[in-house]
Amino acid sequence: MATRTIGEHTTVTTTGVRRKRFSESYIGEWITTTDHKQLGLMYLITGFFFFVVGGMEALLIRTQLALPDGKVLSPQVYNQIFTMHGTTMIFLFVIPVLSGFGNYVVPLMLGARDMAYPRMNAFGFWLLLLGGIFMQSSFLIGQAPNGGWFMYAPLSELVAGHAFEATPHMNADFWLLGTTLLGISSITGSLNFVVTIFKLRAPGMSINRMPLFSWMILVMSFLLLFALPSLTVASVLLLLDRHMGSHFYQYGNGGDPLLWQHLFWSFGHPEVYILILPAFGIISEILPVFSRKPIFGYTFIAWSGVAIGFLSFTVWAHHMFAVGLPSIAQAFFATSTTLIAIPTAVKIFNWLATIFQGKIRLYTPMLFALGFIAMFLIGGLNGAALAVVPFDYQITDSYFVVAHIHYVLFGGTALAVFAGIYYWFPKFTGKLMDDRLGKWHFWVTFLGLNLTFFPMHIMGILGMPRRVYTYPANLGWNDLNLMASIGALIIGVGVIMFMINFIKSLKYGQPSGDDPWDAFTLEWDTTSPPKKYNFLEIPVVRSRRPFYDKKYPEHADWKSVVEH
Amino acid sequence: MSTAHGEQVRILEEHGQETGRGLNWWGMVFFIASEALIFANLIAAFLYLEIRNGGVGWELPVSWIPFFATALLLSSSGFVHMAGSGIRKGNRRNLIIGLTGTIILGAIFLGCQAYEYTNLIVNEHTTISSSIFGSAFFTLTGFHGLHVTIGAIFLLVVLVRSLRGHFTKENHFAVEAAEMYWHFVDVVWVFVFTLVYLVPLFR
Repeated sequence: MATRTIGEHTTVTTTGVRRKRFSESYIGEWITTTDHKQLGLMYLITGFFFFVVGGMEALLIRTQLALPDGKVLSPQVYNQIFTMHGTTMIFLFVIPVLSGFGNYVVPLMLGARDMAYPRMNAFGFWLLLLGGIFMQSSFLIGQAPNGGWFMYAPLSELVAGHAFEATPHMNADFWLLGTTLLGISSITGSLNFVVTIFKLRAPGMSINRMPLFSWMILVMSFLLLFALPSLTVASVLLLLDRHMGSHFYQYGNGGDPLLWQHLFWSFGHPEVYILILPAFGIISEILPVFSRKPIFGYTFIAWSGVAIGFLSFTVWAHHMFAVGLPSIAQAFFATSTTLIAIPTAVKIFNWLATIFQGKIRLYTPMLFALGFIAMFLIGGLNGAALAVVPFDYQITDSYFVVAHIHYVLFGGTALAVFAGIYYWFPKFTGKLMDDRLGKWHFWVTFLGLNLTFFPMHIMGILGMPRRVYTYPANLGWNDLNLMASIGALIIGVGVIMFMINFIKSLKYGQPSGDDPWDAFTLEWDTTSPPKKYNFLEIPVVRSRRPFYDKKYPEHADWKSVVEH
Repeated sequence: MSTAHGEQVRILEEHGQETGRGLNWWGMVFFIASEALIFANLIAAFLYLEIRNGGVGWELPVSWIPFFATALLLSSSGFVHMAGSGIRKGNRRNLIIGLTGTIILGAIFLGCQAYEYTNLIVNEHTTISSSIFGSAFFTLTGFHGLHVTIGAIFLLVVLVRSLRGHFTKENHFAVEAAEMYWHFVDVVWVFVFTLVYLVPLFR
């Protein structure tokens, strides 16, 4: 096969001296780049920035709730802070960070030179940044969104019948327009992922040999493509209600507030799986490498992800058990929600079987991955409890639900994101992160998150409603709330440790070499950090662990394992 | 398609792998699929509100205008197909005639919609805020009208480019994309028209 090198171009001019173009300066290169690796890093950094913003909002919430009768924030500001905490974490932290990993790693894993549409990739990133800044800028005029992250109508309406002013100012508009912008950004990103994964895999990499992270990014992209339209439509209808005088969500005029809930949750529940599936992918990459075994039950992990994707479109009304749906509908949604536990449990058993009898190396990424399994299991179990309709009646809209979502999204996704950063940091920079500090980061975070979120189960069962501004001292919630607030501070300390580790390793980290973890997949089969063109020669794949085959030809997978 | 992708596709072909349709074609397919879901949600909302109100007030004055407009829009699909299949055979004349015909028919369709809207607002006093039916009707058909407008602008750009001779038998993805988009807008109208104009006739 002829080898052609596509390198960085060196422009030779006759005069020898030429003024640098803007796109050749350091800043200009980052601003004008269409390279998937640079964009991936920009996604990651932007996402992490918003993680810090959302984290500070969380700390404000916990400060307000630390003691009974708290008056740290005014009720109006408190509403804005908890709304923006949820919105920021979901739309501006998790989605961007996961697309950041996807952007950086997926083309490398597939043996491609770039994403399918590099320029649209850049467009998506800048739109995300614009949308994020637009939403947060609402704080500047004191009118941040204040209707909760699901912005229920008619609370978010301008007027809700009988001239009762619900949200008369621009608060809700910031949310509606902001999420629509972010939605467009996500659509461009997902299109890019789907086409890249379908069309640009290296020769020999059939879809059944593709790394599991790419599988999960593929499912996530399909979910985004098919779920986001519901949110867009819901938002447009609400904007029309607010500014054009239509009546979609106004009960008195023939509209129906439940329409908002149906539209929102038929986006919102797939969204939950959008936030967790790539995290499953990251874990499925890390566990085998640090257990020195191939992943157990590849096909089951891949297809259970697809099954979760399909099922996620059939469960939305389990968020609405308390609104008085017909009992047949409740039975349907309770059943479909419980069904999702099956493919999820399939994954957990496969991960356990992967580490079973492996030669486990407990580096930081592995610690975070193991922590993920334990925490996600708790989040999954209390989620299954919420699918039981009579139990849900008692517990809905209480702190129990807050505990559930945080075990899934913080104990789950956020731990996986940290695992991914520790795992791929050498790929991004060519340097190792400090392992000792990393382990400290893990244990501090692990302690903090359990201290924060575990008491919330009990608070919920004791009847503390979510989003409540404050509470009197005689309800028996005091100690639990104080514990949760101390836990939140400990998580904050963990994040600071991570930031110190990140910056220190960026400057003084040990050189990692190209393949510090003795990994299996193609992204490590090139220099760290990779050159613009990724691979000097497009690799040819013969099994699910192409890089392992190359390093250990005598044990190569394709000699012993039959797969298609 | 950038050079890097060109090389990748070439290598895939060297290894005897089917590469099939191009990247852009697949991208357009998934984009349209996502757009279709927007209309699916709008239609679901329309039906939800219709059922919630037991169909009360869910009717329009009978008029031949929407039927005329529908006939025009459906026949415009033939013109855009003529343009697309023309350039696939390298026939630039068919391309230009087809595009011009599509744009004209699309513009007349939009004119009919504008006439219908004016009639409803001025004579019937049905507006987006007058009733829940008004809200649902103007939003659903308005969203479709917006997509027709976007499609017409899309075609107009493609027409200008074909007048400048940008497209050849081998290289004409923009034409194909505009064609796909226009067919999509047409198919959506079949659903919207059935729901909004035909179903009430049989009640």
